[in-house]
Amino acid sequence: MTKIYLDNSATTKPYPEVIDAMTFSMREEFYNPSALYKQAVETERRLTGARGIVAAPLGMKAENVVFTSGGTESNNLGILGHLKTLRGGGTVLYSGAEHAAVRNTCAEAEAMSFTVKRLPLDRRGSLDMQALEEMLDDTVRLICVMHVCNETGAVMPVEQVVALRDRLAPQAAVHVDGVQAYLRVPMNMKKLRIQSYAVSAHKVHGPKGVGALILQNGHKIGPLIFGGDHQRGLRAGTDNTVGAAGFAAAVSACRPEAYAALKQVKSEMAKALLAAIPDAVIIGPLPEDPDSASHILCISLPPVKAETMVHALAAEGVIVGTGSACSSRSRKYSVALSEMGVAPKLMDSAVRISFSAPNTLDEAKQAAERIAAQYQLLKKFIRR
Amino acid sequence: MREVLMMRFSEIHLKGLNRPYFMRMLVERIKEAVKDVHGHVWLSDSRVYVSDATDMDEALRRVRKVFGVHSVCRAVEMDKNDFEGILAQSVLLMEDKQGTFKVEARRSDKRYPMDSMEINREVGHCLNEKLPHLTVDVHNPGTRLSIEIRDHAYLYTEPLPAVGGMPVGTSGRATVLLSGGIDSPVAAWMIAKRGVLMSAVHFQSPPYTSERARDKVLSLGKLLSESLCGLNVHLVPFTDLQMQIHERCHPDYTTIVMRRCMMRIANLIAKQEHALALVTGESIGQVASQTLHALQVTDSVSQLPVFRPLIGFDKQEIVDLAIKIGTFETSSLPYEDCCTVFTPRHPATKPKLDIILDGEAKLDMETLIAQAVEHTEIVRV
Repeated sequence: MTKIYLDNSATTKPYPEVIDAMTFSMREEFYNPSALYKQAVETERRLTGARGIVAAPLGMKAENVVFTSGGTESNNLGILGHLKTLRGGGTVLYSGAEHAAVRNTCAEAEAMSFTVKRLPLDRRGSLDMQALEEMLDDTVRLICVMHVCNETGAVMPVEQVVALRDRLAPQAAVHVDGVQAYLRVPMNMKKLRIQSYAVSAHKVHGPKGVGALILQNGHKIGPLIFGGDHQRGLRAGTDNTVGAAGFAAAVSACRPEAYAALKQVKSEMAKALLAAIPDAVIIGPLPEDPDSASHILCISLPPVKAETMVHALAAEGVIVGTGSACSSRSRKYSVALSEMGVAPKLMDSAVRISFSAPNTLDEAKQAAERIAAQYQLLKKFIRR
Repeated sequence: MREVLMMRFSEIHLKGLNRPYFMRMLVERIKEAVKDVHGHVWLSDSRVYVSDATDMDEALRRVRKVFGVHSVCRAVEMDKNDFEGILAQSVLLMEDKQGTFKVEARRSDKRYPMDSMEINREVGHCLNEKLPHLTVDVHNPGTRLSIEIRDHAYLYTEPLPAVGGMPVGTSGRATVLLSGGIDSPVAAWMIAKRGVLMSAVHFQSPPYTSERARDKVLSLGKLLSESLCGLNVHLVPFTDLQMQIHERCHPDYTTIVMRRCMMRIANLIAKQEHALALVTGESIGQVASQTLHALQVTDSVSQLPVFRPLIGFDKQEIVDLAIKIGTFETSSLPYEDCCTVFTPRHPATKPKLDIILDGEAKLDMETLIAQAVEHTEIVRV
């Protein structure tokens, strides 16, 4: 039985190139890039090169990159790091779809005397633009909106958010959590004039423990971690040269056409499941919608509980997720899905199938067959 | 002079001729509890003592959890013939106290030159002189300074309550049905408190229940094992039986038939463990399988008596106990167990025996039960 890994939004398998690059970095280029001697200078050059490689897909340059420990820290730095440079408080807006890394960081902004408000979602999981328009005024200092929702795959209308910001609250910065979008959904930060963009290496076949915050030219943030003046004083601590090497190798190994091909993979998977399981319901935008990311499919398979389905599929060699993997230790309903008005019964049965570049159409077909078979088996036993 | 832990024991003093057996068991249990911190344990003159542990705070924490210990004092042990030393130590023990005090001397060594009243008077007088901020109140003192004259003198101020009960192993063996929820660990703890050596049975439904659910049950076992003196956890694979029950029995009766199968399996495992009873965490009416009707038909398949120490408890009372014994947090982790995966929408609350028997007749029960027991994994925690 072939194993099919479809929980790529939780994490991805590192590419061999990534492992090679990190091994090389540890074996040969272990020097501290802050040191003076020749070998350290070479390590520093390579680190700068890695910054450039990570920044390039967003239309930015090496000097715009701050390496961090991952997506969560990048979001913390993007949000709190900017707010601490502001005086006089104001309003922070964040979308109801945000990951806990943004949601809970915004909650922290309340302790810094900012007024924090949640932007509602529509039933498809996209941002309610009318509500945003009504909430934008001259008190708004920061708008946080994710690029792709980790739970539904909805691509948020970042461009429209920026346009509204320019018209109604030009003083406000826009921070985008790009963890689920980076390399998979095009983004040109320069063109779009967003102020900061958070990314994570392990979602794109890089190592865990590395991420980056990409900053717009001239956008001000302050550090959250203090120490030496590494990374222009924005993030103290000896540079993670090994992680950076792995991250850069993952970006270099990325084939954009492989991500583009996932549109069909996701579409076929959805089609097969809807045909085999009449009660199945897609949560979020439909695969054919233009604002549906090609790599995330959230589908509810009532009456089978998602947790039971996940375990049953794992025994069949198919790995999928339930909602957001980060929250598998709490039984609370997903904030994003609740915000969309999804019925609790559908949330109980919602599995998240997430693809990445290595997944093939054939894998999707095989996985759909195994999901349908397990569904038919479990349906007989559960909640009669 | 050294610091010792001096323990009083609970009900053992009510025992008659077999009292030495209970005492011996208590000493054994305390020795096991402080083994890791190298505590020296001995019995003398109706008290159990621990001394010379590498970490006396940890030793104290542990002995307070040993069933059979009523209270523990951190006492100073000293030469009873050095009365000046006793006076000086009394001052040291009391100098940071405020308000009122009383000296309570007790003398089991009747050859000691002073009687209890004299000791009280002398020490009280000394404290009054040296610590003028304290005043005597013999009826309602803020602090009691106890002085026990035994083979040595023992001085202490604050006896700490311990868990009570009877030493584990003095009351036979029982097997608990451990679900991973809040109630069953509390039930196991309560029965163990009466001196019963426990083992546990947990039913799992691979692959539909999580590996984390299994880890959770083993963590609960580990949390309990300190009080229970170790625990064998029998992990029973239950999926095949559950599936057949759901395929062949009346939908509203799947839970009750499942419970009866669990009882049958638990009986077999209890026999392997030489247990004389089963223990469950049920309380009347909490869920459909815990109505009196359901409990009656569940019990009717058990050859061993089934003890339910929580039967008259409200949920909140059980939660409070779970918090007290330290299992609540782990019990609250949100993993599906074998019961929640296969739950009927309308379980029968007043199950009828003929429908149950009719359903059970359709099962390959003997074979499936034998297979489940055969494939049971035993983990010692």
